[in-house]
Amino acid sequence: MAAVELTHITKTFGTVKAVDDVSYSVEKGEFFGLLGPNGAGKTTTLRILLDIFKADSGTVQVLGGPLTDAKKDHIGYMPEERGLYQDIPLDRCLAYLGSLKGLDQAEVKRRAQTYLERFDLADSSRKKVKELSKGMQQKAQIIATLLHEPELLIVDEPFSGLDPVNTQMVKDLLREEREKGVTIVLCSHQMNLVEELCDRIVLIDHGKVLLYGELADIRRRFSANAVLVGTPAELPALAGVESVERQNGTVKLNLAKGIEPQSLLQALVAQKIPIERFEVALPTLDEIFIRVVQGEQP
Amino acid sequence: MKKMWLVALHEYRRHVLTRRFVFGLLSVPLVAILFVGLILLVMSLDVNTTPIGYVDRSGLLSNPVEAPKPSWPDKPVPNIAYMTEAQARAALDSGLIQAYYVIPADYQNTGALQVVHAQPVKDASRRAFYSFLAANLLKTTDPAVATRLVEGANVTVQSVDGRRSLSGDDWFSFLIPMIAGIGFIIAMFTSGGYLMQAVVEEKENRTMEVMVTSVTPNQLIAGKILGDTGIGLTQILLWIVFLVIPILIFQRSVEFLRAIQISGQSALVMVLVVLPSFVLVAGLMAMIGATVSEAREGQQMTGLVSMPVWIPYALFAVMMGNPNSPLAMTLSFLPLMAPVTMLLRDGLTILPFWQIGLSSAIQIAGAALVIWLAGKAFRAGMLRYGKKLSLRELFGKA
Repeated sequence: MAAVELTHITKTFGTVKAVDDVSYSVEKGEFFGLLGPNGAGKTTTLRILLDIFKADSGTVQVLGGPLTDAKKDHIGYMPEERGLYQDIPLDRCLAYLGSLKGLDQAEVKRRAQTYLERFDLADSSRKKVKELSKGMQQKAQIIATLLHEPELLIVDEPFSGLDPVNTQMVKDLLREEREKGVTIVLCSHQMNLVEELCDRIVLIDHGKVLLYGELADIRRRFSANAVLVGTPAELPALAGVESVERQNGTVKLNLAKGIEPQSLLQALVAQKIPIERFEVALPTLDEIFIRVVQGEQP
Repeated sequence: MKKMWLVALHEYRRHVLTRRFVFGLLSVPLVAILFVGLILLVMSLDVNTTPIGYVDRSGLLSNPVEAPKPSWPDKPVPNIAYMTEAQARAALDSGLIQAYYVIPADYQNTGALQVVHAQPVKDASRRAFYSFLAANLLKTTDPAVATRLVEGANVTVQSVDGRRSLSGDDWFSFLIPMIAGIGFIIAMFTSGGYLMQAVVEEKENRTMEVMVTSVTPNQLIAGKILGDTGIGLTQILLWIVFLVIPILIFQRSVEFLRAIQISGQSALVMVLVVLPSFVLVAGLMAMIGATVSEAREGQQMTGLVSMPVWIPYALFAVMMGNPNSPLAMTLSFLPLMAPVTMLLRDGLTILPFWQIGLSSAIQIAGAALVIWLAGKAFRAGMLRYGKKLSLRELFGKA
């Protein structure tokens, strides 16, 4: 059963079509990436999913049906722009947001304390939210999103403002949630993190879906006929290699049409060239993102 | 339903447990105390206890009795008799007396008096001397009759159906609805201001986006209005306590305080008309917060709500002349103007039950409509960062 299913969603603001016939689904327990350049319609799609906006047309199914008030208690949403009450202490803010998700006060306190300690915020729990640093507020927002142990987690740019240590902590946390069976929708510009975490992605631009599917499959679809070779030796001219690019100790060999990587490997071995690394060159998600947004089709 | 109460409780605690609220709460009675204190100071400065002299040619004061003790804030002023006007004048010139009266021989027939002073005689001193004269004019009269003559009649006006009565002693009861009206307006716009600012801030700092994934816009707006009404009622309740405590303390020594009474009609008006109006204004403030992009803009729009509320005070003279005029009746039914109009009329006349009932129904319907509209404005305007909401958008689909 899909945890989220959007079918032919359209939303117009004035004369601007923010979302244009968007369809995608997120399977239960999946780590799903929602990508797109600024103003592509990602956040609007999320807001429609969360019933903050009503779609002009199309249907939305969340956790097996239309989104109800009861289902909202099973969803954790972290918006891109952080939203916490600034003028009250952090513990009170968390207690309030947790209670709105159906938790009783004792349970909220217990869970909040666990997360606050894990995120190294326990000493700041009595401080007003506005007195916390940007990174601390970011961590507090993540706690507020996870406090009620949601089935569906929707996080919009969760790593912005975090240092590498905290980024790793949040990555670990998201992986843990995924291992618990939580469905995660990650909206981010940090392609390396999406690449690292997500199973499937959808790429939206100008309100339309440009790419949708398994990440590995998409990378294969966009791969050029090239290999990466790591060698301490100087490579001789090789048959079937159209051009050579050097990249930080690795050599990228662009192969002519019809030449298989396997035959090149055989040629290298035959010439007794020492090989430390040999792999098919797949494009990074960053490269795919730029190529697709610039109009390239796989 | 539970979430609405959670929102209400949060809103209440968020504003009531702040220094700003406590300051606002105390500032009104403090200003009132300061104001009353200034009046009392002026009144006490008006009392000059320097003796007043007199030259009696009528024989009325040949064997004088003292004037009765004046009621507060007046003080006793001693009287000194002089045989001749020259002696009195010398005493005046030396500052021994503040003025002297010459009582002519035919005073009891004509009532004519002559006063000589360096500075005009203040009211309190004049009252003291007249009281002295009256006591001596009546000294041979039965004391009970004399008291009646001096104090006059205490007329109590009683309505035909017995619902209301008003006597000369409880004039303060007539002022209570006026004071209540001002307190109501201050509380309404203070707490309404908190509500509007909270909504604008939640839009600005994106808290709204998190909130609406936990509660519906209607739960959110209803909870906020409920919390806001609670804040306003807390203010009013505490002000009442501040008012009642000094009344209870000074009741024994200040006569008019003993006569204070709150009529059943006043209580009805407060519960049936003022309370729904409070909710109506809170809904309007929430709606303004949801439609504007920044707090400053909202404060400007608040003027559009507060102006009609004050209009009945501007028309008070007209209403006092005829509190049951068509104008007064019309204002009693109009949302925003009804609460103050009804409170003012409550102090002046007997309000027919049907008018209280109809006004209440209109205010309740108005409050319900405004809450519904505020919910719509919330939904349409909550994520319009930095943009105003147009009327078309307010009435269209979010």
